[in-house]
Amino acid sequence: MLDGIMTGLTTAVMPFNLMMVVVGCFAGTFIGMLPGLGPISAVALMIPITYGLDPSSGIILMAGVYYGAVFGGSTSSILINAPGCASTVVTSFDGYPLAQQKQAGKALALAAYSSFTGGTVGAIVLLFAAPALASVSLSFQSSDYFALMILGLTAVAAFSGKGQVIKALIMTIFGLMIATVGTDVTSGTTRFTFGSVDLIDGISFLLLAMATFALTEVVMTVLKGQHREEEQQMDMSQLGSMKLSKEEVKHVAPTIARSSVFGFIVGVLPGAGATIASFLAYGLERNLASAKEKLKFGKGALRGLAAPESANNAASTGSFVPLLTLGIPGSGTTAIMLGALIAYGIQPGPRLFIDNPDVFWSVIISMYFGNLVLLILNLPLIPYISRLLVIPRPILIPLILFFSITGVYLVSFNTFDIHMMAIITVIAIFLKLLEFPMAPMLLGFILGGLMENNLSRALTISDGSFSFLWERPLSLGIVITAVLVLVIPPLSEYWKSRRQVATKKDPETAISEG
Amino acid sequence: MTLSKDHIGGLVFLGLSAAYGHYAGDILLLPGDEYEPFHAQTVPNFLAAMGGFLSILLLLTADRDGKNGLSLTGYDFALVAKLLVLVVLFGLALEWVGFLLATVIFLIGGYWLLGVRKVKTLLVASVPFAVGIWFSLTQLLDIYLAPGQLISQIFGG
Repeated sequence: MLDGIMTGLTTAVMPFNLMMVVVGCFAGTFIGMLPGLGPISAVALMIPITYGLDPSSGIILMAGVYYGAVFGGSTSSILINAPGCASTVVTSFDGYPLAQQKQAGKALALAAYSSFTGGTVGAIVLLFAAPALASVSLSFQSSDYFALMILGLTAVAAFSGKGQVIKALIMTIFGLMIATVGTDVTSGTTRFTFGSVDLIDGISFLLLAMATFALTEVVMTVLKGQHREEEQQMDMSQLGSMKLSKEEVKHVAPTIARSSVFGFIVGVLPGAGATIASFLAYGLERNLASAKEKLKFGKGALRGLAAPESANNAASTGSFVPLLTLGIPGSGTTAIMLGALIAYGIQPGPRLFIDNPDVFWSVIISMYFGNLVLLILNLPLIPYISRLLVIPRPILIPLILFFSITGVYLVSFNTFDIHMMAIITVIAIFLKLLEFPMAPMLLGFILGGLMENNLSRALTISDGSFSFLWERPLSLGIVITAVLVLVIPPLSEYWKSRRQVATKKDPETAISEG
Repeated sequence: MTLSKDHIGGLVFLGLSAAYGHYAGDILLLPGDEYEPFHAQTVPNFLAAMGGFLSILLLLTADRDGKNGLSLTGYDFALVAKLLVLVVLFGLALEWVGFLLATVIFLIGGYWLLGVRKVKTLLVASVPFAVGIWFSLTQLLDIYLAPGQLISQIFGG
């Protein structure tokens, strides 16, 4: 492991890679600050740039952008009550009230320290957990992989929100359907190309990611008329001090420690991600607070700000565990990174740390550097970075559209891709209006080809029988977990609603009987 | 009964799954493939069946009280349509007038559609940016960008 850490350190400290961390953190912070554009869009926008880099530098840049975007989202949550992404919505609960009390500087500093601690704790745990998990998963066979991918897809669907499970599952199937377009790698026959030469190679991951996230998110702001809204400007002279007193540090330290560990664990679960981690950490902290302190939550409580900030950064790091060790992304953003790794010709999974140790270890090491950059460089520069938000939306939106389109065009040099992006954007807008989540679709699309290959191999080995799903204890264990993950949330929801109906009925019967 | 978002989504995906299943039957199989446990139609057939099943499940579990209806008011569909037409035109312009001119046209068009009317702003925010990007790509990164069919026909090349 020490060899690996040294390999990672040597790769990560290369001046170019250090520059990638810094550039990534800055670009991510800026994009993350723009309301509506979150880490997924920020990472998607970076993919075309990373195609020209070597895999380690590319993934380091994307990891930096990921952290930067989460941090940028927190900044806009605190300063203008406009969360850049879902995982920083909770940050605004107590961050914005603090800014209104002219303590924006303190709120930003606390957010940065919490993020730094969360990210650092996450990076250290990842340093030990990832290789251990990867060495265990080296014994995986194609049947286990197939079962694991089913678990990944069902987990993303199950965690997608109340009442959204069926919709998320449908979107996963839709993604798998899109993945079948093009030439079938096992037989060489074309599928669903309808005679179009442009579809023989299938739909590119980059095109789908850019169209469904970057392009659609920007177009949605236009659709909702948000581009006409006047920018809320925070008076930077009213930021206040960025220093925290000793008492305040003592007060929030246990919260940060708890939330960091908690966030990491939630982040490791496939599909859970930073958003759920931040909400759960906030809820946990509120429950642990005394009755007097509980009243402060939502009105500028320091613990209420520190908890989600530590948790969402630790969860962002945690979501790299299933990506790096099993090749199963833990969140929408890591799903995009998985697609990028596959595009580089790298197969994420247990063999990653054997076949590409430089990529594996340098990503982990650069995460620590990323957190350091956010704390040392980004925090003091926040007043200046946030000035970029002054660029009027009517100017900014066409520029983002341009980067999204040309990012795809400059990889394929085929204008058909631009037209395809427009069509996919129309479909994505329609689906978003119907409240269908996009991340499961992208995950289904990315895992589609791999799933089909592993299923084909497993079926061939087991002579066409699906018994491989229960004959190997490991496969069986994973399949049972997938079923539980899928069944438990709707069942608990059903029980809850039944209990509510029963408690509503009871008083009525009591009255009628009385 | 009012059609809710779930009803519409369920119906759309039911139709999609049916069409997908129909075209899955058109996938050519290699001779003898039909006797193999796994072939090019296996996954598409499974996906069509799963898609159909889940769509019906969504239709059956959808709210029937009309609370979750699809409301299209308050959305600027016309502007979005214009922007997407501009994206398509950008694709066509790339082929005909080349990257530089297409970028300038796209950016000016985009700014104009979103309400920028000052000629100076339109030009300052588009021409230097387009030239900068074009210069970086062609001169610094050495990427060949085709000049466009129209430009080639007029100036030769």
